Amino acid sequence: MLLLQNLSNALILACTYILMAAGLTMVYGVLKVLHIAHASVYTVGAFVGVLVFSWLGNFWLALAIAMLVSGIFGVLIYRSTYFYLLNAPRTVPLIASVGMFVMFTDLLQKPFLMGAYQRAFPAGGAGLSAIKTALFSFTAKQVLILLVTLILLVLVYIILTRTKLGLSWQAASMDREMASAVGINLNRSIAANFFLGSALAGAAGVLVGVYNNSVFATMGDLPSYKAFIIIVLGGMGSLPGAILASLILAIVENFLVASVGYVLPRDSIAFLVLILMLMFRPNGLLGRE
Amino acid sequence: MLTVENLHVRYGQIEVLHGVSLQVGESEVVAVLGANGAGKSTLIKTLIGWLKPVQGECKLNHEPLDPLPAWERVKRGLAIVPESGRLFRDLSVEDNLRLGAYLHRDEDIRKRMEVVFNLFPALAERKKQIAKTLSGGEQQMLAIGRAMMSNPRLLLIDEVSMGLMPILVKRVFKVIEELPQHGVSVLLVEQNAFEALKIVHRAYVLENGHIVLEGKPQELTDNPLVKAAYLGG
Repeated sequence: MLLLQNLSNALILACTYILMAAGLTMVYGVLKVLHIAHASVYTVGAFVGVLVFSWLGNFWLALAIAMLVSGIFGVLIYRSTYFYLLNAPRTVPLIASVGMFVMFTDLLQKPFLMGAYQRAFPAGGAGLSAIKTALFSFTAKQVLILLVTLILLVLVYIILTRTKLGLSWQAASMDREMASAVGINLNRSIAANFFLGSALAGAAGVLVGVYNNSVFATMGDLPSYKAFIIIVLGGMGSLPGAILASLILAIVENFLVASVGYVLPRDSIAFLVLILMLMFRPNGLLGRE
Repeated sequence: MLTVENLHVRYGQIEVLHGVSLQVGESEVVAVLGANGAGKSTLIKTLIGWLKPVQGECKLNHEPLDPLPAWERVKRGLAIVPESGRLFRDLSVEDNLRLGAYLHRDEDIRKRMEVVFNLFPALAERKKQIAKTLSGGEQQMLAIGRAMMSNPRLLLIDEVSMGLMPILVKRVFKVIEELPQHGVSVLLVEQNAFEALKIVHRAYVLENGHIVLEGKPQELTDNPLVKAAYLGG
């Protein structure tokens, strides 16, 4: 019973990891850029979500607008920076992305934006009800996270496997030059990729903000490296890999803390798993050679 | 249909093409022959838009190509079979073909796929197979099939015979020879002058970035220079 409850808690944690890492791995697949500033998009998503929620009081509207703004923000990041670095050595966009992440975090801390304090995001379960069974239970907030993640994942799956747009991303991830020579407008395709990936990060920001009832300017710090670890674990650019790695990491974190207690900071576990992975399977769980 | 005028192309610091001019007419199959390093691939890469010329002009049906990115050239009727195929390796045969017709509507894609499957029946049997698991010959056929999916006016083919068994070279060239019947003109660059000259209407000889000869296959095969350099004596 405790086991199942731990598993269901891990599942919720995994959901937030998945949404964050999915966008990152999508961007990596097409651009081969480690988009560290993805975490800024997550924070901006949470910020927009909490603002819209405080004006309108409707969670679903707040989520939709936050995802829209995050998506546009992601496209702007691409068009203003990575677009000009497409043919540069891969360390150049990486350094640019770290620079942007630091800049955005500092900017968000300015008093005219988020300031240095935490805001509450009291959306609760957005009208959903808790699930209680004899074996496990989900709070209303957890049901909300599970539901939103599932819907978004199904949407992403359909776009990736059933649409030309998804096919164009797969082609671009294998050979960008050749993709352009079958008629794919790479600028549009990559921008759409950034839009979707960034909208997912925005959704993750909103959900974590609601779950912890807290939104603040530096909330992206932890996810920035954790999402990075997850996509390395899963195999760079592999979406199923990112989902699997999110689940594994969430389960390991939950069970180690539940069974052993806090022998070491919870968030360091991710790094231990990463080191082990790099030692024994450097291409990641589902990575290509 | 294609006119190339005084084309100069640089690859890094080195100029590879020094003022190349050539034409491909409607429903014509034209070869550019040359040894390794003569600049053949550079020519193809410039025509599809992967490389930018420093000087000169390329026109497709009197419209300048140079300002257009690759995808817009495809829209205007160009397609490429690049060196070593460059398939989307982890995708199925079907998805590779579908990508070939990226700018077309779904109904067209189904029709075009039938055309390609008629050309290469082996591909029809392997629709669901992942591209990288195909044999070398099948991969080359898929590369041609993918290019045919966009219903091109002019097909650019880069060293299609490389690494293929002689019997497959003959089969692939047979298909190329018949492309004009489907309304397609062809510009192919080849090291295998012997086989290429059997199927083309006209050919150019490219040496160190200059066109040094041009003529009908018969004229070239009779030319002592060509015999010595490209046809093995």
